[in-house]
Amino acid sequence: MTTPHHSPPLFFSPRHLSRFLAYFVLLLGLSVTLTPFLWMIFSSLKTATEITRVPPTFFPQQPTLDNYRTILQDPRLPLLRFYGNSLFVAVGNVVSQLFTSALLGFLFAKYEFRGKRPFFGFFLLSMMIPSQMTMIPGYLILVRLHLVNTLWGLVLPSFINAFGLFMMRQFIETLPNELLDAARIDGASEWQIFLRVVLPQLGPALATLGTLEFMGSWNAYLWPMVVITRVERRTLPIILTWYQSQHTTRPHITMAAAVLVVVPILFVYFFFQRWIVRGVTMTGFK
Amino acid sequence: MTKGAKRRGGLWAAQRRFILGVSIPTLLYIGGLSLFPLVWALVLMFFDYSPQRVGGPFLGLGGNNPFVGLNHFREMLVGTSMEAQLFRVSLKNTLIFAFAVLPLNLAITLPLAALIESVHDQIKALFRAIYFLPVVTSSVGVALMWGYLYHPQQGLLNAIIRGLGGTPVAWLSDPRATFLGVSVAMWAVIAAYLWQDYGYNLVIFIAALQGIPKEFKEAAMIDGANAWQVFTRVTIPLLRPTLLFVCVMTMLSSFSVFDIIQVMTNGAPNHQTRLLVLDIYENAFRYQNMGWAAATSLVLVMVVMAVTLIQMRLLRTEWEY
Repeated sequence: MTTPHHSPPLFFSPRHLSRFLAYFVLLLGLSVTLTPFLWMIFSSLKTATEITRVPPTFFPQQPTLDNYRTILQDPRLPLLRFYGNSLFVAVGNVVSQLFTSALLGFLFAKYEFRGKRPFFGFFLLSMMIPSQMTMIPGYLILVRLHLVNTLWGLVLPSFINAFGLFMMRQFIETLPNELLDAARIDGASEWQIFLRVVLPQLGPALATLGTLEFMGSWNAYLWPMVVITRVERRTLPIILTWYQSQHTTRPHITMAAAVLVVVPILFVYFFFQRWIVRGVTMTGFK
Repeated sequence: MTKGAKRRGGLWAAQRRFILGVSIPTLLYIGGLSLFPLVWALVLMFFDYSPQRVGGPFLGLGGNNPFVGLNHFREMLVGTSMEAQLFRVSLKNTLIFAFAVLPLNLAITLPLAALIESVHDQIKALFRAIYFLPVVTSSVGVALMWGYLYHPQQGLLNAIIRGLGGTPVAWLSDPRATFLGVSVAMWAVIAAYLWQDYGYNLVIFIAALQGIPKEFKEAAMIDGANAWQVFTRVTIPLLRPTLLFVCVMTMLSSFSVFDIIQVMTNGAPNHQTRLLVLDIYENAFRYQNMGWAAATSLVLVMVVMAVTLIQMRLLRTEWEY
């Protein structure tokens, strides 16, 4: 094979030019991606006088943490409680969905029984029912179960995640049957096989699903807004919009509140980045 | 019975107990919290139902929540009531939104994925990680930061426009401003949504590009194709299954956008950014007009299904590699 370039490399050779253009476009994209974050963070560090300046400054001239202090000391906004609420719901969703996804994935991957195919089709169907349609009756059911305005109302209706089930089934199918049979011969019950043999093998899949579900739950807005109306039961995204409506003329305060809500999830993201990217490409889970 | 057969019988019985023990609660749960609500929604749309009125004994239907047959659907088509007009506006806006988002999203993510794929591996991972940031950010956070970027006086966007000598725009509140026949406020929420969402498709495209065997591109290069020809004639056709998936998913999610709309504009100005899910939410939970809301949600679902089927037809492939 001959090399395509016989001439000595010049800086402005087409190859270099296209390389240069590629990086230029990528960096442009990067700045478009990062600017809104920086705008939020810098605005949250500005003083009340600086924020009203027209035209606005980009970098804060006298960076201050006063806005964060204002939020943390606001008696109407016990922020720790709302972090607690969000955390409770997210952990509840993650734990329940990891458990049911693994268990049902195990059932569909390793057992043969009558009605298995229609049962599985049932899940496919339930996955395709858009949430906008079941939202209204779902709410009416929660009213009858007295779960409106409770955090359980955000956990109980989403115990099973069909995406998670499919992912786990695919994963468990690759486990050798000999492993399970060996445990059976040793006298293990089916539950013991699930808990002691299957679950420990699922580490990466559980990490992927758990991270995606945690972020989805942490950021959820519409359903929590429908279910929760009492202020002290709210999760972070709903309290954020409520707080904004109280401070429409004080964007520096709102931006600081937004930073406090957005930043924890960005930490989770940087820790679990690998799993998230893998999960998205594997399942298309959103 | 021999000892072995007895033990095998015991094993089967244990497995059966396990299968039943897992599937019966699951079926009850799915039936109660997934299928039953679906059936309820399908029934609700034929009633004029509000949870504030005491209706008949069965699910509150009947009595003060009367059966109205297909009235809701007739109203949606030709009615002159406020909610019928708002529904038609919302449907139109939703179609504009979704059909603008899809091509714009592809025009950004596909070339960008090819560019990222062409750079050094370690930088690639960094770019991918940062480009994905907005996807994991809470959409309420996104709406707040973009709302403030768009602020008419203190916003960054107008500061840049002023700096370049242009006239500032009231991005989210001027009902008369239009661009290409679509209101500026609509373009503004589309831009915010694109920003939040494009990292998702980008990551999928990057993974798909990595899955294309190098030999295909090399063969085309040897045959004298340039980079652009390789991209359009080799890469894109090979991406077709991914493209189908991405198109369907992007359409599905842009038809159900709610968060950033509700926070940034709440449908303003003049209902120009009112989308269907916001319309359903307002009718169901603000005005408690749940029969009507259930009927409009069926229309949303039908539109989404139709668009999905059309895309599957258009982008179907008969081969694999």
